[in-house]
Amino acid sequence: MTGRDRETPARSSAAREQSTDDRAAADHPGTASRTGEMEIWGKRVRCHPGIIVEKTLPFAPILFILIITLVGRPAAAAALAVLFIAVVFINYRIWSRTTIQFDDTGVVVERDTVFKRKKTIPYSKVASVNINRGITNRLLGTSSLLININSGSGATVPEAVLTFEQDTAESIRSRILHRLYTHSEDQDEGDEPVEMPALFSPLDVILHGLFSVSTYQTVSGLFFLVYSVFQFYVSAGTDGGSAGAVVSLLIFAALLVGPIISQIFYYYNYRVYRRGDTIYLQHGLIRSYRTSFDVSRINAVRVKSTLAARLMHRSCIEAEVVGLASGKGQSLRPVLCLLKDDATQQTLLRELVPEFVYDRKPEKQPEGAARVLLIEAGAASLALALVMIYPSIYLYRRAMTATGIAGLTMPYMLPVITVSLILAIFYAVYVLYRITDLDLGENLFSFVNGAVDRETVTMNYDRVQMVVTAKGPIARLFNVARSNIYLLSSIGGSSITSGYFHERDLNAIGEIVMERIASGDYDYRKNSL
Amino acid sequence: MALFTGQRGTEDTAPDPSSGAPGTDGYRRLNRRCMISIYINYGIWYAILLAICAFLTTFSQNLSDPYYEIARLALLGVPAAVLVYVVVAPPVFYTRYRYRITDDRVEVRRGVLVIRHTLVPIERVHQVEITRGPIKNLLGLADVAITTAGGVATINYLELEEAERVAELLNKLIGEMLRERLQAPASSVTGSADE
Repeated sequence: MTGRDRETPARSSAAREQSTDDRAAADHPGTASRTGEMEIWGKRVRCHPGIIVEKTLPFAPILFILIITLVGRPAAAAALAVLFIAVVFINYRIWSRTTIQFDDTGVVVERDTVFKRKKTIPYSKVASVNINRGITNRLLGTSSLLININSGSGATVPEAVLTFEQDTAESIRSRILHRLYTHSEDQDEGDEPVEMPALFSPLDVILHGLFSVSTYQTVSGLFFLVYSVFQFYVSAGTDGGSAGAVVSLLIFAALLVGPIISQIFYYYNYRVYRRGDTIYLQHGLIRSYRTSFDVSRINAVRVKSTLAARLMHRSCIEAEVVGLASGKGQSLRPVLCLLKDDATQQTLLRELVPEFVYDRKPEKQPEGAARVLLIEAGAASLALALVMIYPSIYLYRRAMTATGIAGLTMPYMLPVITVSLILAIFYAVYVLYRITDLDLGENLFSFVNGAVDRETVTMNYDRVQMVVTAKGPIARLFNVARSNIYLLSSIGGSSITSGYFHERDLNAIGEIVMERIASGDYDYRKNSL
Repeated sequence: MALFTGQRGTEDTAPDPSSGAPGTDGYRRLNRRCMISIYINYGIWYAILLAICAFLTTFSQNLSDPYYEIARLALLGVPAAVLVYVVVAPPVFYTRYRYRITDDRVEVRRGVLVIRHTLVPIERVHQVEITRGPIKNLLGLADVAITTAGGVATINYLELEEAERVAELLNKLIGEMLRERLQAPASSVTGSADE
């Protein structure tokens, strides 16, 4: 029987014994919000009615567009309008029949609608309690309280999303965190100035937005930009023909401009600091996001740098922490340091997560790895060349009749691109062989990966859930293998892949994990999920 | 490291599978019936592939561009290459497949082209599940899915009784581990962890 199962009957009994005052609080959600969290604690309350607006708004634009397009058919438009009213009514009914009770052991969310539901979230299973404020929240003076539990399944969705007045949400969060951690949240996140290990200026945020996007994504986006410019140039003076250019421009915007702007907005006003064993993160321009988590919840730490960031000697830090889902589609992996100069990044790494810092004595890939990588590069190049033969001939024939710059460049464009890509593949393989390494420390181990966008992943043996070592037919010829390390990650389960190494070196990871369990170096209480 | 001792031998497994054949390090093999299951499974997928190729060949018959000639050749070549794999892969899969359960770990070695060695510490197992599709049901086979917080490892094509024994053993090992933890005084755990 789980903790949740055990607690449910007690809670049901307690719920039945709710006083008249409690029912009054549930009937008048505003009362509880006005008088603060102390009035809410231990009583059954409802969310702020603003949650009806929050849940209805996503449907509004779609319905509005449909109604506009169906303006000539009043019956259909009326049906859609009725549908919209139905959505509002359903959301109202869910709000009015959903009660929340915070008490000393957990949170009970009970919905008494057609689909009845009672969810008990014990504090012992809570991974994080976060505050999210979007535009709707700001307009209504509310905050969304996101409660996440330690679970690999459904790790991308919060266990409960509850809307309260801003002050109430803050004080509830503070009180829950006080139960989760040993020190008071009020002291840490109040208006008192906090000593920051590093400050992040708006310029840092902009640079992070611009250069933390993966190089492949940047190159793809720029390709579509160049293509759209080229199409505009070719189609200039002709009727139509610019549709392809517009589509390319839109793809460029979706691939690059959108993610960059989204990152800048998301990480604006970025603050990070550590108090005791808790790391606090705050950021967001339009939607503000505040979270905190215990260092023991971190399963791995990644130091990342894209090609552009490396040229500027900048890198960022990400952590694999389960249970930080915001439910709003943002990146789930908390960033502990935006793109900063390498020295600051190292300082932050030591100050924020010294548990993931150790003296590395990395082992480079054996010679066999170089041969495997070369054969793989050769196969990829051959496949690329074969695929490009026909389009190259086709374009050559078509472009021979063109005049001007297009006539000079287009016939040879695809062969030149193909050769460039093949050279790039072989150069990437050379870099990959040179930089990939493996380091097996006493308590931690790490992989360095990535020819273009590089990352150093440091993992704790005690967080490894499963090790899979794989040898393909070519790797077997040269006596090397790769390992996938399965960990509990921000999105549930995920694996981190090593480079090519001797199988015995990779098997050592699993053996160390087993030895730590057998010897007692592994403390299950510190690593319980 | 204690090994899993099966209760009953099968066509290809010794009565005492913990020791396995000499030189096998206690690894156990699958029943030959697994090949029938794989052949049936591959056969269904191959029929779907042939149907797609036949549809594409019919559809492209009126296309005269030389590029489509290459595509038509590929439509013949792909099923031929896949057929070779479909015929050869099951015996190779059967021959290479090994699994081992000890008191602290589960190991599976498998693969046709890529050989994988999976290691799951018993300490990390959250859930054990026996699954059977219609084909395996007909043949009396089942899979054992071992869920950890980071992913799922599977021991495939076990005889149903064997699958139940494996699941029972894993549940027993997990239960014993949890009982030991509940009984162990907090100080002793801390002591061992700090040593």
